[in-house]
Amino acid sequence: MKSQITNRMATVLISVCAGLMALIMIALVGYIFYQGLGHVTWHFLTTVASTFQVGGGIKDQLWNSFYLLIVTMIFTTPLGIAGGIYLSEYAKPNRVTGFIRSCVEVLASLPSIVVGLFGMLVFVNTFHWGYSILSGAVALTIFNLPVIVRVTEDALRSVPVALKEASFGLGVGQWYTIKNVLLPAAFPGILTGIILSAGRVFGESAALLFTAGLTSPDLDFKNWSPFAFDSPLNPLRSAETLSVHIYSVNTVAIVKDAPQVAAASAAVLALFVLIFNLSARGLGAWIQKRMSGKS
Amino acid sequence: MIGVQEKKIIELPQRDLGKETIVQVDNLSVYYGDFQAVKQVSLPIEKNTITALIGPSGCGKSTFLRALNRMNDTIPSARSEGSIRYDGVPLLDAAIDVSALRKEMGMVFQKPNPFPKSIYENIVHGLRYHGIRKKSQLKTLVQESLEQAALWDEVSDRLDASALSLSGGQQQRLCIARTLALKPQVILFDEPTSALDPISTAKIEKLMLELKEHYTLIVVTHNMQQAARIADNTAFFYQGELVEYNATQELFNQPTEKRTAEYINGQFS
Repeated sequence: MKSQITNRMATVLISVCAGLMALIMIALVGYIFYQGLGHVTWHFLTTVASTFQVGGGIKDQLWNSFYLLIVTMIFTTPLGIAGGIYLSEYAKPNRVTGFIRSCVEVLASLPSIVVGLFGMLVFVNTFHWGYSILSGAVALTIFNLPVIVRVTEDALRSVPVALKEASFGLGVGQWYTIKNVLLPAAFPGILTGIILSAGRVFGESAALLFTAGLTSPDLDFKNWSPFAFDSPLNPLRSAETLSVHIYSVNTVAIVKDAPQVAAASAAVLALFVLIFNLSARGLGAWIQKRMSGKS
Repeated sequence: MIGVQEKKIIELPQRDLGKETIVQVDNLSVYYGDFQAVKQVSLPIEKNTITALIGPSGCGKSTFLRALNRMNDTIPSARSEGSIRYDGVPLLDAAIDVSALRKEMGMVFQKPNPFPKSIYENIVHGLRYHGIRKKSQLKTLVQESLEQAALWDEVSDRLDASALSLSGGQQQRLCIARTLALKPQVILFDEPTSALDPISTAKIEKLMLELKEHYTLIVVTHNMQQAARIADNTAFFYQGELVEYNATQELFNQPTEKRTAEYINGQFS
């Protein structure tokens, strides 16, 4: 009898905790959407920000966020996957490997403002890259790399040993096995991790304040030469992203509709992060289902 | 044939069981760290026969099997001592091309472990690695190996279907086909039917009896009846030692060692 009561109490407690979490999530997202979505119009998304007049939008910031995300992912994904492969398949269990693994963990737990200040000292000042997409992307790479390394290592480790043995048993070499058996089997996990980390990168602000900067030039969306100073593609121009924009609008803006702009920007940001998370789950499940051939 | 050329004449096994010896193991010991899993085992394996390795769990029979195609190399703490000669070539030699060795000595595992890919891809995986890229050739080899593994009739119309959609017994026959495609000489089976139902088991056993016409089969099995049904020779392992090795009928009917008799009579397992 007693164990039944304990069991019921534990179940209730766990359910309450889970419910509380869901509630906080729904309340938070609901509040952001309630405050902001009303102001989100096509006009808002496709108009440049305004410093003095009411009616500014977030066109450039939205573009910057995506551009920075893409550049960051181009840096992080190959490096992170390579690191994960090394740690899971090649590294021998010794001190050096242990040290590398602790480095990855420490890097993953660095506060992002520290990464931002480091980026400013090294990339912006020492390397003379200035406040730029490049500086921002490299700072975000430092911030994001450990996550992808970790995700890749975990995904590879969770591939059943039996598959690896099957391939080795056919005389197939290690790299060919990794490429053709392990990576495809780990792919759903790696992809989910990459998309989730993309959500984190997309919403990051502290690491970008002093690396990508608080302003952007007026972008000329007709000039796609990466060398023009006002080209959307120029990697050496400063770039205020959406989340940095929320910060700056909330702290320094003098336009009358600043609260609405901030709320609407927050809603757009939250919406995209939500899309990233949901698509990560959906895509992961879909690929898993297709690969196991039960479709 | 496998990396190192060895000109030395092979000594015949001490106990001649009648047929040509293809693998000669002498004083083989395998260690995991400090633990000795296989102790000084010597035995000849005859060509075109089925040799069964029996014994209780943890007696070293699987470790012995995995030493033959150097699968223990994948375990960092494992090391082998002694000598294994395959067609005269010393397999424990550091210069051996492990990849070529495993192509010659295929392996089928305890649990069916097809790749989560199509049936076709499962078979061509090894072939492609070993340099066969021509589509027509791959197709022929896929069909041949599936026919040999008695699976062709069941899957010929759905080679693109996922291997995971097959039943357990079919998956295991696919794993055998995958090995056969590489045209090995020896096939090592590590308890190949322990995860299967009786009907699938019977099919695999029938297949193994057919295969011994062209291949040499070494089977680790937990199932004494299985050894009695299919094996020509049987080796009984106990606590890492080879207790007795003889023609299957002899071993089961007139075991010379007390421990063998006790194990066969089910006094311990």
